[in-house]
Amino acid sequence: VTDVRLLIVEDEVRIVEILRSALSRAGFAVDSVGRCDDARAALEVNPYDAAILDLGLPDGDGMKLLKDVRSRGNAVPILVLTARDAVQHRVAGLDCGADDYLVKPFATSELIARTKALLRRPGGALGATLRTGNIVFDTIGRDVRVGDEALLLTRREVAILEHLMRRLGRVVPKAVLEEKLYGMDDELESNAIPVHVHHLRRKLIESGATAEIHTVRGVGYLLVDGDA
Amino acid sequence: MIASRLPSLQRRLVTRLAALFVAGSLVIVAVLVYRAYDTADTLNDRELSLRAADLARYVVRDADGSARLVLPPGLRDAYDAAPGVAFAVRSRDGRIIDALPASFGSLVARWPEPTDDPSYFHLAGIAGNAKDYYGLGISLDGPAGPLSIWVARAEDANALVHSLLQEFVLDIAWVIPLFMLLALAIAILAIRGALRPIRQVSEIAASIGPSTTSTRLPEENLPSEIVPLVSAVNRALGRLEQGFAVQRQFTANAAHELRTPLAIVTGALDNMQATDEVIRLKADVDRMNRLVEQLLSVARLDAIALDVSATVDLNEIARETVATLAPWALAQGVSLAFSGSEDHVEVKGNGHAIADAIRNLLENAVVQAPPRSEVTVSTLAEGRVQVADRGPGVPEQDRVSIFERFWRGKGAARPGAGLGLAIVVETMKAHGGSVAVESGPNGGAVFTLVFPTASAAR
Repeated sequence: VTDVRLLIVEDEVRIVEILRSALSRAGFAVDSVGRCDDARAALEVNPYDAAILDLGLPDGDGMKLLKDVRSRGNAVPILVLTARDAVQHRVAGLDCGADDYLVKPFATSELIARTKALLRRPGGALGATLRTGNIVFDTIGRDVRVGDEALLLTRREVAILEHLMRRLGRVVPKAVLEEKLYGMDDELESNAIPVHVHHLRRKLIESGATAEIHTVRGVGYLLVDGDA
Repeated sequence: MIASRLPSLQRRLVTRLAALFVAGSLVIVAVLVYRAYDTADTLNDRELSLRAADLARYVVRDADGSARLVLPPGLRDAYDAAPGVAFAVRSRDGRIIDALPASFGSLVARWPEPTDDPSYFHLAGIAGNAKDYYGLGISLDGPAGPLSIWVARAEDANALVHSLLQEFVLDIAWVIPLFMLLALAIAILAIRGALRPIRQVSEIAASIGPSTTSTRLPEENLPSEIVPLVSAVNRALGRLEQGFAVQRQFTANAAHELRTPLAIVTGALDNMQATDEVIRLKADVDRMNRLVEQLLSVARLDAIALDVSATVDLNEIARETVATLAPWALAQGVSLAFSGSEDHVEVKGNGHAIADAIRNLLENAVVQAPPRSEVTVSTLAEGRVQVADRGPGVPEQDRVSIFERFWRGKGAARPGAGLGLAIVVETMKAHGGSVAVESGPNGGAVFTLVFPTASAAR
């Protein structure tokens, strides 16, 4: 459906096979390399939409590769796969310019979700038109459709839905939503977010959306695709 | 245990030393008393000998050839005044030259000639005086020729000497036990002083655990007799540490190496058609994944002394952990909620480890919670984090054992290896805190992590 192109940097052949098959089924075109040098070359030549990088490579440290790529100004979203358990390694990975990380072993569904989340970022391959279940959000036209029907939302509801869709399946802290909405609503009342979310949730249900907004009391909200 | 063992060594030393000192002072006092009386006797003998020589000196021969005792007037008076003193002077021809009292003269008149060395005698009373008399007889050459002289003294006549000696002995006898007591006190102090470094070593030894195997006992300031033991213990600790390190490395490596094949199996199953069998296999692999994760966590907690020096906000950690796990919990049909304390709940700790601990509690709670119920994480001032579920709760008798490694509830279909709570315990130990479980007000289990608050922390 899409023409999203991904690079897998991983030396374990079986894992490459599994990732390739799962990501292909999700509709992505996939290239794979098993060495740092090859990865550098591939990233140099092809404009990938995202890369999945295993840190333990036979000819060098993936972390160093990550640094090199970023220092050359390549901003391709990179999801780091690591078997390293020490948490500081994950943090170091993020510091070196990884956009997200996933610790082995992982469910492929999780990998696909994380990859899509990277692609859904503003400017990402899937960032212009967000899709969750039967909800389609044209972020440029600010136009939301459920199935074939247009969904009429207020500006604040649209803003909330955008953040929830960009971070599909993950909790968006209430504080983050407050921050995003503060600019557009000078007198944001303390219960403004819950009220907007409440209206948005009702409208989604009424329009027959397959995705649903869940509340994590005291933390924030997340959008879950009921079909997934 | 240690506190009671040390004083007993002290007590043993002290009691034995005390016994030795008492026995020693008894022997010394006895010897002194014996020697004093012996000396008194010798003095008596000497006095009697001198008196005999005195008497011999004052025997003079008259013009007619008869011998006569002529004592200077002072001495004569002294003899007359002193009761219980007797003497007799006999010439070689058997005649009594003089005697006091006269009856003593008639008594000794029949005695054999004494030799040049004094010979001692004992009489039970002289001239109606019922006292015991001790005396000596000796042959002496005076200006009037050879004489046999006997002098005796009633027993109480040397009472003065005896009483003087007694006083002297008693003075010494008083001083000796006193001196011994002082020595004992010094010995006790010395023992205490020598044992103090041992007590310190014991305290250090008591702190050695699986996570502090690099600790060694200090050998400085120890009594040299103890040093071989301590250094042997240190060498043993070194060997144990090596063994521990090998064991941990093995656990960590095994868990680490298991990850890649597990990732392959997990991924392969994800790609397969979701038949009932595949779904069951997925659950099995999930369980294995969790076990490997937990084994790694345990190995890590055992192997590395956790850095708990950072100041962290429990509110923030708990909220983020809830946010991370909420999607997974929702997929299990359980919703999560967070209820934070109004203020920051700041403690000294390791944020990642605390998040791991909360995650383990949350995972357990979600598994136990009935469908469509809510699991709540709360932070309280005073450095507490609570995870409350609406599940069956933890029976009273299991509230200690559930924190042990590999503990599984009887007959409970709990997934996992029973390492999650052990990880929580280890983490809390590293923070100087604790974890406990109780029943919630509306049933269910409430796990509470208790951190030492900033003021109570070191």
